Amino acid sequence: MGSRMRLKILRILTRIGELNVSEIARRVGGDHKTVKEHLKILEENGILQHKTYGRICLYRFNPNSPKAMAIQKFIEEWESLEKPHA
Amino acid sequence: MLPRLGSVFKDESKLDISYVPRRLPHREKELRILFEFFSFLLRDPLRMTQKVLIVGDVGTGKTALAQKFGEDITRLGGVNIKYVHVNCRQYRGSLFLLLSNVLSAFHPSFPKRGLSAEELLNILLQVMDEQNVYTILTLDEFESLIDKEGSEAVYKLTRLQESRIGKPHRISLICILKNLEFLNTLDASTRSSLQSNIVYLERYTQDQLVDILNDRVQIAFNPNTVPDDTVNLIAELAHSEGGNARFAIELLWRAGKYADAEGMRVVTPDCVRKAASSTFAMIRKSDLVQLNFHEKLFLLSIARFFKENEEAYASLSEIEQAYAITCEEYGVQPYTHTQLWNYLQNLSALGIVKKKVSIAEGGRGRTTLVYLPSISASELEKELVELLEKN
Repeated sequence: MGSRMRLKILRILTRIGELNVSEIARRVGGDHKTVKEHLKILEENGILQHKTYGRICLYRFNPNSPKAMAIQKFIEEWESLEKPHA
Repeated sequence: MLPRLGSVFKDESKLDISYVPRRLPHREKELRILFEFFSFLLRDPLRMTQKVLIVGDVGTGKTALAQKFGEDITRLGGVNIKYVHVNCRQYRGSLFLLLSNVLSAFHPSFPKRGLSAEELLNILLQVMDEQNVYTILTLDEFESLIDKEGSEAVYKLTRLQESRIGKPHRISLICILKNLEFLNTLDASTRSSLQSNIVYLERYTQDQLVDILNDRVQIAFNPNTVPDDTVNLIAELAHSEGGNARFAIELLWRAGKYADAEGMRVVTPDCVRKAASSTFAMIRKSDLVQLNFHEKLFLLSIARFFKENEEAYASLSEIEQAYAITCEEYGVQPYTHTQLWNYLQNLSALGIVKKKVSIAEGGRGRTTLVYLPSISASELEKELVELLEKN
């Protein structure tokens, strides 16, 4: 994944599922152009895929990529360990 | 909801306005008709959609009928049918807000900012294509959408398929309204695309109201807490209110509350009389909840005017002055005369306030007078202040 920003993006998408670029940028605290570039890299590596609805482009984990599914599962488990225990 | 110790209620939630009962007494025929209209959905959903109007007065079971139908048809299985019920007035008659809500039912995190209603509609159809789902969209209080958006929005909804030739039909409509006359404001082609299938709901008779009440008594109250005399009296009062089942159920609930407050084990006819004499019962609380913030402020100003003055009528300009003071109190900018006039039309259509036009002597000049129809101004004020605190 090689970047703090990309990791942030993947964590957000693990939590929410599917989001548009502006919303991802807002949540990770990055500008639209930089986030778009990171999303492009993640998509080129087969980790994310996008779907277009009119002017809206939604990104999510690529369900057909075992690598993407493994990363998603890893983040889920990591986040569950980070949660404070009751 | 847990019953209180010693309460006459077994489960108060069964008397809530949003509760859809397992059976709808005296609406079985209409339910069958709806199934007939939509039977194609179960056989061959790809090739057509349906548009049905449900028309009837307040408390004739329009909403309950549509919701019951929605529950039943989606339970049948086989075809992927989704039932979505939206109240147009809750979304201030805005097609955009209404479609945003519908889209959220399919895709909760979908961004809606910056999109037009038409774009939302296309996205909605794309999502339905992806999920291979057929939707029955019920537009409750349809008048509100017509009022705000006019023919254009209704036309878009009824002619969706024309821009999707060769693609599956996805959205059928059920439009609920009180009076068909409202459709006269639509242009002829929009009207004709809507008016082919109409389910009319007649007002309930007194005997029918007794059956409805008995059903609710059974599920909402503990055994032997509501005698026949009580049910008959409620049915009689609700019948005189235009066969309004919603009023009957609310009165039943209030009478139960009076019984509980007095520590009685039985809901007596006297509890009903007390509940009925509390004139605020005449207004449906749900109507007040759905008013927007400024409508509530405007109505609060009307209530305060009549509480403080012994006049029977107030002119709109007097109410406007009272409203300006209320706005100061709540720290907001008052709306203009035109907007307040629209609020008055809405409140009058809901029966919360009444208005009449007074013509000055000599026939020159017309003044709109506002008055409260047998509603206690202080009860109304109290209720609104509570609601505004929750805002």
